[in-house]
Amino acid sequence: MSIIHHPSDATLAAFASGTLDEARGLVVAAHLSLCAQCCNAVHAFEEAGGAMLDDVAPEAMSAGALQRAMAALGPLDIIAPAVRAAGGLPAPLSHYAVGPWRWIGRGVQWRPVEVASDEGVRVFMLKAAPGTKLPRHRHTGTEWTCVFDGAFTHDLGRYGAGDFDEADASVEHNPVVDAEFGCICLVALQGHIELQGWLGRLIQPFVRL
Amino acid sequence: MLRDGKAAAANNAADWIRAIAESQDRAAFASLFEFYAPRIKAMLMRLGAAADTAEDLAQETLLTVWRKAAYFDPARASASAWIFTIARNLRIDRLRGDNRAKLYAPYDMVEPEGPQIPDSALSAAERDARVRAALKELSQEQVRVVQLSFFEGRAHGDIAALLDLPLGTVKSRVRLAMARLRNLLGDLQ
Repeated sequence: MSIIHHPSDATLAAFASGTLDEARGLVVAAHLSLCAQCCNAVHAFEEAGGAMLDDVAPEAMSAGALQRAMAALGPLDIIAPAVRAAGGLPAPLSHYAVGPWRWIGRGVQWRPVEVASDEGVRVFMLKAAPGTKLPRHRHTGTEWTCVFDGAFTHDLGRYGAGDFDEADASVEHNPVVDAEFGCICLVALQGHIELQGWLGRLIQPFVRL
Repeated sequence: MLRDGKAAAANNAADWIRAIAESQDRAAFASLFEFYAPRIKAMLMRLGAAADTAEDLAQETLLTVWRKAAYFDPARASASAWIFTIARNLRIDRLRGDNRAKLYAPYDMVEPEGPQIPDSALSAAERDARVRAALKELSQEQVRVVQLSFFEGRAHGDIAALLDLPLGTVKSRVRLAMARLRNLLGDLQ
């Protein structure tokens, strides 16, 4: 798999530091499960986190803290074999409830991934038939996408399996799905999609995304 | 002197963790605790935790280090980075009460489900040395902005208010700092 499009450094650093919200973090984690290069970057940022931990001015623990910890020491964990994710989905998705596929338009199916978000971000998977042209649209917030299978193309290039698309509210695009393989992807969408053009505005009420 | 002591403690940390894994060495645990617990507490307070919550999580982090000592692999991470990730995950679990810490599960496994890291990748020790060198290359202002932005999760607007700087300056500083860090770390991949 040759991955061309990656999350930004700021996104990977936010993931490594644990400050990214869960909904967007899930799409980043899905990408990481497919991309050795970004795993390396996250590990580098975690090393930076370790270095900052070494350098922070210590805050004294309360009296007797060490003794209490020593008293609480029990047996060590035995190393357990890694668990494989079921169903062919990337491992990070295995922790979440995934709904059934539903048609939301010609050639396009949708299934929700249950992730709570206090920033109005919804997570879902999309499955589009080969050659599907999505109407030109923009977003009221960010739209992060990780491609699992197949590909789509828009103004910024072709996005194949493993690729990560980090679109913000300034992006307006009309993705075209790969003519041969279609496309399956995971999306974290903040706000909603605004379709452009007279046709888009006409069908907007019927599109729930 | 202080820096040397700190470097020595951080260098010994991997040996202490191994001593716990191999022989449940309580003295090694005490050494780890004395170095890391006050630092984890400080880091968590900087992230906005109350002192007692931060102390509690620091305790829990060190107890987790004890329990999971056999999982520590010095070829994959330095001791400080490993302990940082444990504290990070516990903080997410506790303070946010959501599922997010599970996102990091692949990193905690012995046999990660993730893709194979190419052979050309640097060893963890080399990576650690590079990162530390890279951080030293940044100016104090740049380090401060990177810390606030990436390790305290503050928005750029917040940082601008906190440091009394124009928003544009904060943004360009973050970008510059990240670009430098990325350049200095560039060969990691």
